[in-house]
Amino acid sequence: MFLTNFLRWLDATHFSQWMRGSILAEPIVESTHVLTLTLFLGFAVLLDLRLLGVVMRKRPVSEVLDQFNPYLMWGFAVMIVSGVLLFSGDPLSFYSTIFFKIKMILLVFAGLNVLIFNATIRKKVAEWDLAAKTPRAAKIAAVVSLLLWVAIVAAGRAIAYALPPP
Amino acid sequence: MHPAKLLLVFCQWALHSNFGHAVRDSVWLFPAVEICHLLGLAVLGGTVLLLNLRLMNLRFPNEPVAELAHDVQPLMVGSLAVMLISGFFLFSSEAVKMYGNVAFRYKMIFLLLAIMYTFTIYRKVVMSGEGRVPLAWRVSAALLSLVLWAGVGFAGRAIGYV
Repeated sequence: MFLTNFLRWLDATHFSQWMRGSILAEPIVESTHVLTLTLFLGFAVLLDLRLLGVVMRKRPVSEVLDQFNPYLMWGFAVMIVSGVLLFSGDPLSFYSTIFFKIKMILLVFAGLNVLIFNATIRKKVAEWDLAAKTPRAAKIAAVVSLLLWVAIVAAGRAIAYALPPP
Repeated sequence: MHPAKLLLVFCQWALHSNFGHAVRDSVWLFPAVEICHLLGLAVLGGTVLLLNLRLMNLRFPNEPVAELAHDVQPLMVGSLAVMLISGFFLFSSEAVKMYGNVAFRYKMIFLLLAIMYTFTIYRKVVMSGEGRVPLAWRVSAALLSLVLWAGVGFAGRAIGYV
């Protein structure tokens, strides 16, 4: 099977062996992954709360989106790169856990949620930029995002407990 | 009694307390509390970053600092409370081990400094009007806040590795 072959190939690469052998690589990459939660998830939560009308109500939604966007992008990039590096260190073990698979599926849903938000209600943001009550579609997108990210963090944490002993 | 001895007695009390036992003996309670700790980290870190970026004039140039601070204060205090409570439960399950963990000690020192600083000098800088504190001071206040909170985070990460 293509996927299994790919994981075996990845597991045998020099990089993967180096990640497993190095004392510092895993702690540094994992700490980067965990602490970047503050930047990426912290700002994502703040954005969701703005969409729900909980914080920064006086700031136009379009401004909040613009102001957060570069930091969300960089934060997400760091999460993905550090996550891929962590995975590369032990791909077969990661893939063997149910929580890794759950996390990947939830990430796809989180991405779809963003795409749908951008393609629909965000297009009309000028109409509700400063509205006292944000539209229902924006609130749904925010709640879905919050629920998905809580589940993604939980699944991510659970991976470490489910990994087979080295 | 020597202060260090008092700390050890406190750690022993926490370890043998009901919740210390509960977190230690349960299969899922420790991970569940850890997840709360991580979610608290995201929200606390996010609000701290946002406020410091604003102090340094890097984000939300049209929003007065004090107004933004007032706006995110419940989130900041709430997530700090979640982190302190969940952190205490995690600590209680292995309190005596933490007493001897050098990273944990650094984390507690950074945490104490970060909290004291945030609710005194930092608060004063944030709540004063834009014109009253020069930008250089606001940037310094923001950088010190970032250093102290980063110290808590990095030392916290190190607990599992030392």
